[in-house]
Amino acid sequence: MKWDIFCSVVDNFGDIGVTWRLARQLVAEHAVAVRLWVDDLSAFARICPAVDPRLDSQVQHGVAIHAWHGQWTAIEPGDVVVEGFACHLPDAYVAAMAAREPKPLWLNLEYLSAEKWVGGCHGLPSMQSNGLQKYFFFPGFTGQTGGLLRETGLMAERHAFQADAGTAARFWRELAVEPVAGARLISLFAYENAALGSWLDGLAAMQSTTQLLVPEGRILKDVERWLGGPQLRAGDCRVRGQLQVNVLPFLEQSQYDRLLWSCDFNAVRGEDSFLRAQWAGRPMLWHIYPQEEGAHWDKLDAFLQLYSQGLSAPAREALLALWRDWNGGQMMTQSWSLWQEQAEELTVHAEKWCLEQASRTDLAAALVQFQQNWI
Amino acid sequence: MKTAQEMKPNSVALIDGQPWLIQKAEFTKSGRNSAIVKMKLRNLLTGSSTETVYKADDKLEPVILDRIDVTYSYYSEPNYVFMDEEFNQYELNKEDLESVLPYIVDGMTDVCEAVFFEGKVVSVDLPTTIVRQITYTEGSARGDTSGKVMKPAKLSNGTEVKVADFCEIDDWIEIDTRTGEYKSRAKAPV
Repeated sequence: MKWDIFCSVVDNFGDIGVTWRLARQLVAEHAVAVRLWVDDLSAFARICPAVDPRLDSQVQHGVAIHAWHGQWTAIEPGDVVVEGFACHLPDAYVAAMAAREPKPLWLNLEYLSAEKWVGGCHGLPSMQSNGLQKYFFFPGFTGQTGGLLRETGLMAERHAFQADAGTAARFWRELAVEPVAGARLISLFAYENAALGSWLDGLAAMQSTTQLLVPEGRILKDVERWLGGPQLRAGDCRVRGQLQVNVLPFLEQSQYDRLLWSCDFNAVRGEDSFLRAQWAGRPMLWHIYPQEEGAHWDKLDAFLQLYSQGLSAPAREALLALWRDWNGGQMMTQSWSLWQEQAEELTVHAEKWCLEQASRTDLAAALVQFQQNWI
Repeated sequence: MKTAQEMKPNSVALIDGQPWLIQKAEFTKSGRNSAIVKMKLRNLLTGSSTETVYKADDKLEPVILDRIDVTYSYYSEPNYVFMDEEFNQYELNKEDLESVLPYIVDGMTDVCEAVFFEGKVVSVDLPTTIVRQITYTEGSARGDTSGKVMKPAKLSNGTEVKVADFCEIDDWIEIDTRTGEYKSRAKAPV
């Protein structure tokens, strides 16, 4: 079985992060041949340094990676074609799909959302005028959706890592980070955010020490501004009050997973890191990708509604207040303080949520199952 | 060609050589997901129905349909009968009328449009705005007069609509048939 996955990198690393994980998992766990077509190999190389952006084709982790150029060279389409996040496939490729016998299964893999309408649209056909059968495939958190990307051994790997202090110590050495004894560990990966200063003020003023781990990215300038010093670079370490800031290099996916597993609290963004933070089973703070006209708020609220089920009223309120302040660029002083009061319950809840979601069929398996049912 | 977003209920699209009547179209846009339109379609040749979803900017081929003015006449199970100015009768069942059925009431005088495909009536379009009478609603809970606070109300055929809190039983209201939303209070039709 041959699959073609198309990824157009709109911005940042979410699109390529998700399609790359999916491609790897399909190869590793479902024994299918995957060609991954990417229109920006430079972005890809940031999350997978083994990728050479100069090559038109290469193989990594068993996935055939191809540069997707504006000028399309005719090829025989795969048995299954996945357009990542509604990207526009080359017209010549679609024509080749229509001419192929048997016709391929065409799937539009959409962004992750907890909104209720997703369940009503997942798996529906999108009738085409060229005889092709296309379907919309929605990842999600309920049984009415296509599930979440999760490698089969991920939970066991995470538990083993978290249970072995030696492995964690080796990880910190790899990152050249000296953990501060007894400090609360927080990772920070976010878009630019006006709320950051007030949050860092709160952390610096706490009685206990916090170690903030910041991989290179868009939020770093805001951290730099708050510290008021020279430009921050990977490897830098600064202290202000009870807050120690360690700047990390941009991490490839498996290293970033380990960072999430190592921290007590993770601030994440977009889609890929948002999901990986859930698999870490630790409390998190999501910076959702902001949209014009505030279209992202419904998506944020839908997730909060689902995620907060089972929490006590005070814990729920603390969670909502923190996430809304962060995403609204508001002062975090009060909401962070509220969150601290509920930290114990929210920490237990994060692991419970993780295990509950991990009990569902994962996205790659759901895609393969969909394809088998379609045949 | 029209985009999926431009195709409205009761229009017909030619898809893979087959005419499909759009019975329902729901537009959704949120977060980074592409804007999509979920549609309920009925094949005008086979009568089969299906649900489908399109990106809002996907292109569809509209079919130009013939239309004539009609008014609702009576219900004769299982059909709703409409009549034109020359007293020709057109029968449609409830599947044909899915999007307008909530607003069909006995004695209605609204001038509708019967829609034809290859000489056969396939659906009816209501005017954009219709006037209907409230047969039941709770009293005003909060004394709101702004029209921003809404409450449920029932029409004579059992259809439920959200109306302004100040509306009362026997009031006449304007409804937007494209969205099913209450617009304002209205005078009783003459």
